Amino acid sequence: MLKKNPNINITNLSYSINGKSLLNKISLDISGNGITVILGANGAGKTIFLKLLSGLINSDNGEIKTNSKDFSFRNSAMVFQEPIILRRSVLSNILFVIEKIQPHQKIMASELMDTLGLSGKDNQNAQTLSAGEKQRLSLARALITQPKILLLDEPTANIEPTSTIFIEKVLKRKSSSGTKIFFVTHDINQAKRLANDIIYLENGQVKEYSKGSIFFKKPTTLSAQKYISGIISDG
Amino acid sequence: MGQITNSFLEAFKLIFSFDPELIEILYLSFEITIIAVLISSFIGIPLGTVLACTRFYFRKAIISIFFALMGLPPVVVGLFVYLIFSRSGTLGWMGLLYSPTVMIIAQIILITPIICCLTFQTIESVHLKYREFFQSFHIGRLKAVKAYIIDSRFELITVILAGFGRSISEVGAIIIVGGNIDHLTRVMTTAIALETSKGNLSLAMGLGIILLLVAVFVNVAMIFIKNKFLNPSNQDL
Repeated sequence: MLKKNPNINITNLSYSINGKSLLNKISLDISGNGITVILGANGAGKTIFLKLLSGLINSDNGEIKTNSKDFSFRNSAMVFQEPIILRRSVLSNILFVIEKIQPHQKIMASELMDTLGLSGKDNQNAQTLSAGEKQRLSLARALITQPKILLLDEPTANIEPTSTIFIEKVLKRKSSSGTKIFFVTHDINQAKRLANDIIYLENGQVKEYSKGSIFFKKPTTLSAQKYISGIISDG
Repeated sequence: MGQITNSFLEAFKLIFSFDPELIEILYLSFEITIIAVLISSFIGIPLGTVLACTRFYFRKAIISIFFALMGLPPVVVGLFVYLIFSRSGTLGWMGLLYSPTVMIIAQIILITPIICCLTFQTIESVHLKYREFFQSFHIGRLKAVKAYIIDSRFELITVILAGFGRSISEVGAIIIVGGNIDHLTRVMTTAIALETSKGNLSLAMGLGIILLLVAVFVNVAMIFIKNKFLNPSNQDL
């Protein structure tokens, strides 16, 4: 039975650089389960929001809490748009993020490689993988830490469909086993495939937060309607 | 033209007959250079890494100073070291002037900024690339630095080779502090300068050929490392 995770409460989260507000007083009560897809045009604040959730940057104001306790960034792992691959073997890349490698983690790494279509490539130089394989490796590396929250910043933006399918499958499986997933994408169809709920950002503000099915059927704001129909360019 | 040809022939004779004088000069040249490069690497690589990975007051000023020091005129370094180690100098009591040790010290002063700055550039590029990833996975500083060095190992070898190339061909500073004393401080470059002025072109040419071969070898090694290990399409790790 799926474990119900506590909600993630975000209150008045703001972030600015040189006086320019990039996120403005975001307040949300997000379900601790499922896949939350973050949509919005370029410059809407999606990546900044993700980086705040991952603890890569600190907010100017506001707070993130789970179950009235401060949000622990240690429970999260992030996959970047451009996969960052260390100059070593595929297996070493996966195991790098673990502090003290236990035998079961080696088995887990092997399983993850199988799941993500990287089996047999343990000792291959990770730099020689294709773009899609590199991104799958990034995901495997994130998953081996067994994060409670997985943050993905346009992970399938520059990769081939096969890798996209692999990644989406794994994310759905992970989500159903209790990992909370935040997924930034520009691909509306992908958002439809994955999203349990959607956060739609515009100019650093949350314009809509709703269930995926509702968002795509009946977006409440004009800008979200335009975004879905492609009138607001995301490219 | 005939003189040049004759000098070449004489030079090759010296090289292939393993002329003891030539061997002695070669041995000292390599000894001084290798020790100087090793010590400079032990200082320059950690220093460059620290400058690349940490943020502190006056960091940019220190980096600028090190970059400026890359262009240090060797004769000025030689003069500076000479003044310090001359009998009336601060460290004159050590009696190191006109010894291989002081030649190594001069070389270290010249090469360390080069190794430090090239290391800084190498490590900083890796640091900027990996920083967010390491931060997001809560990778400790020590582990991160270790990864920067391991992942830049081939670039760092080329940095050391660059230091070696600079050091082996140095003449200005070591001729001042070493004095070019036969059987004691005479190295390839200072011997070439002396033998040329004496008109003994065959020995000068012989040493010149070897120096040229060393320079070519260092550059070929750097190109080999770059193509073999720094090309992402290559299978080697």
